[in-house]
Amino acid sequence: MLSLMTFIPLIGMVVVLCLPKDKPQWIRLASVVTTFIPLALAVKLFMEFDRTNPGIQFTERMMWIPMFNIEYYMGVDGLSVGMVILTALLSFLCIFASWTIDYGVKGYFAMFLFLEAGMMGVFCALDFFLFFMFWEVMLLPMYFLIGIWGGKNKVYAAIKFFLYTLFGSVLMLLVMVGMYYYSDTHTFDLIKLAATHPFAGKTITLFGTAFAMDKIFWLGLFIGFAIKVPVWPFHTWLPWAHVEAPTAVSVILAGVLLKMGTYGILRMNFPILPEATMWAANAMALLGVINILYGAFCAMAQTDLKKLVAYSSVSHMGYVMLGMSTFTVAGVNGAVLQMVNHGLSTAMMFLLVGVIYERAHHRWIVKPDGSRGFGGIAAVVPVFTGVSAIALFASLGLPGLNGFISEAMVFMGAFSVPRLQTLTVIGALGIVLGAAYLLWMFMRVYLGPLNEEYKDMPDMNWRERLTLAPLIALVILLGVYPMPVLDLMSATVAKLLTIFA
Amino acid sequence: MIQNAVESLKWFAPEAILVAFLVLIFITDAFLPKARSTSLSFMLGCLGLVASIAATLKLMPLAPTLYFSGVVAHDGLSSFFRILAFSAGILGLYAAYGSKEVEDKYRNEYTILILCTVFGMSLMAISTNLIMLYIGIETVSIVSFALAGLNRESLRSNEASLKYLIYGALSSGLMIYGFSLIYGVTGSLQYDLIRTAFMAMSLAEPPAILQLAILMVFGGLAFKISAFPMHFWTPDVYEGSPTPVVTFFSVGPKAAGMAALIRIFLSVFAVKGADMTWTVMPGSNLVLGLSVISALTMFVGNFSAVAQVSVKRLLAYSSIAHVGYLLMGLVALNEKGLVAILFYLVVYYLMNVGAFVVTGLVIEARGSDDVESFRGLGWSNPFLGVCMAVFLFSLTGIPIFSGFIGKFLLFGSVVDVPGLLWLAIWGVLNSVVSLYYYLRIVKAMWLDKPATASSQALPALTVSSYHLVGLFLLAVPTLVLGVFFSPVLRLAKASVAALLS
Repeated sequence: MLSLMTFIPLIGMVVVLCLPKDKPQWIRLASVVTTFIPLALAVKLFMEFDRTNPGIQFTERMMWIPMFNIEYYMGVDGLSVGMVILTALLSFLCIFASWTIDYGVKGYFAMFLFLEAGMMGVFCALDFFLFFMFWEVMLLPMYFLIGIWGGKNKVYAAIKFFLYTLFGSVLMLLVMVGMYYYSDTHTFDLIKLAATHPFAGKTITLFGTAFAMDKIFWLGLFIGFAIKVPVWPFHTWLPWAHVEAPTAVSVILAGVLLKMGTYGILRMNFPILPEATMWAANAMALLGVINILYGAFCAMAQTDLKKLVAYSSVSHMGYVMLGMSTFTVAGVNGAVLQMVNHGLSTAMMFLLVGVIYERAHHRWIVKPDGSRGFGGIAAVVPVFTGVSAIALFASLGLPGLNGFISEAMVFMGAFSVPRLQTLTVIGALGIVLGAAYLLWMFMRVYLGPLNEEYKDMPDMNWRERLTLAPLIALVILLGVYPMPVLDLMSATVAKLLTIFA
Repeated sequence: MIQNAVESLKWFAPEAILVAFLVLIFITDAFLPKARSTSLSFMLGCLGLVASIAATLKLMPLAPTLYFSGVVAHDGLSSFFRILAFSAGILGLYAAYGSKEVEDKYRNEYTILILCTVFGMSLMAISTNLIMLYIGIETVSIVSFALAGLNRESLRSNEASLKYLIYGALSSGLMIYGFSLIYGVTGSLQYDLIRTAFMAMSLAEPPAILQLAILMVFGGLAFKISAFPMHFWTPDVYEGSPTPVVTFFSVGPKAAGMAALIRIFLSVFAVKGADMTWTVMPGSNLVLGLSVISALTMFVGNFSAVAQVSVKRLLAYSSIAHVGYLLMGLVALNEKGLVAILFYLVVYYLMNVGAFVVTGLVIEARGSDDVESFRGLGWSNPFLGVCMAVFLFSLTGIPIFSGFIGKFLLFGSVVDVPGLLWLAIWGVLNSVVSLYYYLRIVKAMWLDKPATASSQALPALTVSSYHLVGLFLLAVPTLVLGVFFSPVLRLAKASVAALLS
């Protein structure tokens, strides 16, 4: 089933490429169908996933390259199943958000489907080599999607994104090669490596100095993943990529791609290099808190809506980092839940920014010349304002919406660990700051006297409403009753934490 | 060892066939009118090369033998590199056919010169005697000077030829001086006898004169593969010579040079250590020297390529960088390293020839090889754009393209050797840099608007189906070898097995 979910979009890509260029509706339809099938399978996956089993499920494996013991090994456990479902959902919705792409339609949808295949593969792959292939494969469509269909500085943003992520991946590549040669079994099998974690206590010589092998590996992987998260100070590609990317790509970027960083840390650094993870836990927590605060302060200073949302992602990924570094049940569950929750709420935010941009052709909260970008549009576009309010309150962690639960769990977990208490108190300021920048933005854009320029702005159309409806439903549902998602992960998280007990 | 010349002839069949066809082409050139003989000589050339490959394949599975009194070897390595040499010839002829850069009146000469060079390359790959090696190298060099200056009326072509000649003469002199020193110390020119003499000496403290000799021999071969510090001729010669010639230069002589280096290092200079790794002449620190040269070669290649405007120069520097990567395998000098070199050469053939062929087509249609003249190529000629992107991403070493597997093998081979990890790290950082300049071409093809205020829209290229089929045949294996590469790997492994035992 997982292979189907991964490769159906790829088949869709081939189909799209074969369709005639002058029939954009056919292309869109083909994309809808080939993203709907993985979504339907994701629902099936959600139904059939055994919540009591902490191990790998839906396994598919066969030998791929016997010479290097490389396997085609796919499977999901509690850490990845939520992300797989999220990926399927957001990819499907994003096809509708891409409806208004007006040039190079064929290439756009082909690249988009290619991207979905890569994302699915990353979350399902359990062989390091396979994982790395999928991880890198995503770079190409992302580069073209930003670089061709992006905004004004698209080329710069695309290259920056590509170079940063490639830098991270080559470090990962080295660790991958190292893990293969220095593990006694010569394997890329992540589950086997996690079961034996064979690198503790060994040393590796670099420039004539001996280093602890597991710490070197840990750092290599961590930097690779941290660039994707992005963890401060590796975050500078993100605002550019987000601002320049077309709406749907921003959604995917924030909703799915960022999570790959934290997912990777949980999938590899934690179980394969637990000793080094313990060693680095405090640093990770510190970076998490820096992310929370730095992201929030930067968001507050933005005058571009999309940049504000981009920096809010930096801030929100900080919660994930903080939660992971606690090694507590509440903290780690909260972190994984936050990955899903942020995926939903930030997707809403970016979709909404896309809606307003299509109408106004700008996104300024305050224009560069100092005049108001918007103002008082609540009176003109009530539906849009209502949906925005839900997204915004979910994002700032209002009780009753999904963000609250995961953030609360993260802080509960973090506060229960004595070594992290001071940091946690400082990090909690992020919630206040989050409320500040989001509400301030809401005030300046939606409330106050109406900016006459936008008195005829049309409200959301049905396509846009239907695109957002599932997200609204989920944001509210998971805010009231998060157990469907928490149940998915709790067994696996509990098993993961036994290493650190 | 077979002493008898008549018995030896059987093993020399591939080269003999080649020479026979060479003579045949001479005759047709002499007796047929120019208009009719050009395509005939082209066909005869291709046929001769294919026949030589067939002969090589027929000889392949036999046990290693030395023949012609031991001056040449028949083993896996010679078969592999013979096939590479003959294929380079085919690719060189393919690139020239229909190209306006080779003037019609010199077409027969072109075919003849290519076949001569291929003959020399083949000799380089099989020789196990210093004089034989020298003859091979000189055959390649002298013919190459003529090839570079093929268009006699073109100033650039003449300049390229002269530069090539001067550098070539210098390095050739260096090398033959090195040979004479080795002969003076050991009293032999035969690889196996030199080695026996080396072993008889106390190798803990090799005489300085021997180290000097090794340095000089390496210098001569470094010129052929254009490794630092003998690389200076490369960009100038590549820029000035006709593109089909460059296409051939960039792969053929390099592979032959690598073959000679592998053979001479492995059967003369290397001593097998106790722990099954190969160390090169203990005490002389050749490993360090060679790894520094590898590191500098990729550094110089990559960082010089960044600033290039002309794509031919850019690819010239990139080919220098790739030699740096290839040398990593020679530094490791174990089975993994050699297999990696062989595999990488195959992949390098495909992607580099592909990139040069597309460049040639652009030069012909648009009269310039600036990055600017690739502008909008992806939109006007999607097939060319996709092929070029595949070749360039493969050269960068991004997964699913075969270049990645090649790099993975090369980096893996040095990670496996204690004390060389820094070289692997250096190598991957260099490939990040290389992404930047390869992306400039991709950017011009796909991301830049086809026309801006400053430049006219460039017209679509008209490309014959001959070239389309050729490019397709190069692009498909570039992709396929990225996911399914075991057969080539097995072949490479079998080719080096005899040398290592």
